[in-house]
Amino acid sequence: MIKEKSKKIHKAKVARIEKVSANSYLIEIEGEISQEIKAGQFISIYCENLTFRRPFSVFSHNSGKIGILFKERGKGTKYIKSLKKDDLIDITGVFGNGFNIENKKSLLIGAGIGAAPISFLKSKLNEKNIENLFIAGFLNKNEIPSCIKADIAYTDDGSYGRKGSVITDIENIIKDYKPEIIYVCGPEIVLKTLSRIGEKYNIETQIAVEKVMACSIGVCRGCVISVRKDGNIVNAAVCKDGPVFSGSEVVWQ
Amino acid sequence: MAVINGILKTDLNGFILKNPVMTASGTFGYANEYNDFIDVENLGAIVTKAISLLPREGNKHIRIVETKAGMINSIGLENVGIEKFLSDKVPVLNANNIEFIVNIAGSTVEEYTNLAKICSSNNIKAIELNVSCPNVKTGCLEFGTDDKSLYELVSAVRNEYKGFLMVKLTPNVTSIESIGIAAEKAGADAVSAINTLKGTSIKLNIVNGKFYKTIVQGGYSGAGIKPVAINAVSRLSKVLNIPIVGIGGIEILEDILEFFAAGAEAVQIGTANFTHPDISQNLVFELEEYIVKNGFNDLTELKKELRA
Ligand SMILES: Cc1cc2nc3c(=O)[nH]c(=O)nc-3n(C[C@H](O)[C@H](O)[C@H](O)COP(=O)(O)OP(=O)(O)OC[C@H]3O[C@@H](n4cnc5c(N)ncnc54)[C@H](O)[C@@H]3O)c2cc1C
Ligand SMILES: Cc1cc2nc3c(=O)[nH]c(=O)nc-3n(C[C@H](O)[C@H](O)[C@H](O)COP(=O)(O)O)c2cc1C
Ligand code: FES
Repeated sequence: MIKEKSKKIHKAKVARIEKVSANSYLIEIEGEISQEIKAGQFISIYCENLTFRRPFSVFSHNSGKIGILFKERGKGTKYIKSLKKDDLIDITGVFGNGFNIENKKSLLIGAGIGAAPISFLKSKLNEKNIENLFIAGFLNKNEIPSCIKADIAYTDDGSYGRKGSVITDIENIIKDYKPEIIYVCGPEIVLKTLSRIGEKYNIETQIAVEKVMACSIGVCRGCVISVRKDGNIVNAAVCKDGPVFSGSEVVWQ
Repeated sequence: MAVINGILKTDLNGFILKNPVMTASGTFGYANEYNDFIDVENLGAIVTKAISLLPREGNKHIRIVETKAGMINSIGLENVGIEKFLSDKVPVLNANNIEFIVNIAGSTVEEYTNLAKICSSNNIKAIELNVSCPNVKTGCLEFGTDDKSLYELVSAVRNEYKGFLMVKLTPNVTSIESIGIAAEKAGADAVSAINTLKGTSIKLNIVNGKFYKTIVQGGYSGAGIKPVAINAVSRLSKVLNIPIVGIGGIEILEDILEFFAAGAEAVQIGTANFTHPDISQNLVFELEEYIVKNGFNDLTELKKELRA
């Protein structure tokens, strides 16, 4: 017996695709996804001839359209970038827990393409009038997506904003700004550093972790990390229990 | 479209399924996890993730890697253990009308027989023995690679378990026929073939003239293994009288028809569920449509024609 058509697999339509920096693209998908999407939640995109769907955080969600900001890396992102307006795109989701927004003075940190979900988070915090400061870092000026509007920008080579990475001067920024919570997305080194600093200054951190995924729904156990729970170290699936974890619970390998 | 008129009915040595499409162990969770995408009750059956006596944490290092035509996994049998499966998952399976086969794994004959006893006393209708596990007693050799160990194991389990007993064969052997025959002689009701092939992926990264290697060793599955699986099923079908369930690289209806032609009575879909989480249900509908469109009476007739 077939019941109502499922909600988590969609043949959607590309509404818009645009190059927004030297190596990143913004794609808007006309989703039937009407539910509220939390920042940090993700969708998984089927890429022709590839076994694994590729996971991408939601960057925007307006009038039924889901926006994804992605950086070209390998075969999967090459395929997605080749799509044109009105092409069909096979997506599953929305998956994951997403950031848990708290009404606290918030420091937002997005390194590289990790700025995508953090930018979405900023728009949610702004809607709720929660005070926040968004720091983004990129390799150089050419890699900064035009759709990212950070309060403080870093580039490794100093070609735009401050020179360095998001962690270069982070302790001073924290001392000045005095955030009550820090939200982070970026490479592992950035997540690790901010988890440590959060503990040092006794500030709550929420970090978005990335892992290669096969199923996206917690069944294959391919994306697990170790976390502390009630004094024990247990497995957590990044796709289902995450991708957002408390910085203090993650056990780094 | 609905599976109504029973034309897909599949009889595996007395274990009756509404259709021959199952999902393979380790790729479909324990119960209704895929209800977000399909109605799991539409499938012939699901085979659960391998379940051991006690919960297992699995491996620590990188667990999955994509390959050109599939993937390599080294999950290390992470699972919730039989107790939690019975208390938390079985009620969900029953409430959702999902037919299921419990895949069990152990490292000694006693562990398997204990699992079989527990399944028996909890009225579990069907089990699949995952014999691709090292036999602790004999060192590193897997139960499924040695016909004598396998015979001993299957006989011991058969003594404790009266339900449908299927043995899942590993392809990492010289003669799959002798292993299949051992399973049949020991009283298995069916065999399923194949489990994953042994595979290794090495990803190289060069930084300042120094190579960084990411090595993943584990089980290779997906589209690339289909010829190996079809070969195994064909060879088994020449020597066995019990039904064979074909597994390996199935992605489209033609793949299923090829397995039937090779002698399989039913199939399991594994890795493809990750790529297309609705694929197993779609294949049920496509198979039914194919039979009707081509004027066969039912699945039995289709299989007969495929093997003629
Ligand atoms: C929860 C989550 C959210 C993400 N959000 C974004 C985003 O908003 N924008 C963005 O540009 N990227 C995002 N990524 C990363 C993105 O999934 C990878 O860049 C993409 O999968 C690369 O695919 P590829 O075929 O182009 O590259 P490949 O050649 O396959 O790989 C390049 C690198 O991408 C990573 N990767 C590959 N496959 C996967 C996979 N299945 N799952 C996770 N990582 C993988 C690996 O680290 C690999 O080294 C996210 C990843 C996760 C897990
Ligand atoms: C991630 C993953 C986990 C698996 N776990 C199990 C398992 O627990 N027990 C088992 O018998 N087989 C397991 N398998 C093997 C599959 O059930 C199946 O035999 C194999 O993947 C071949 O089928 P496929 O090519 O359709 O994936 C696993 C496969 C994958 C990809
Ligand atoms: S991707 Fe399968 S468990 Fe997370």
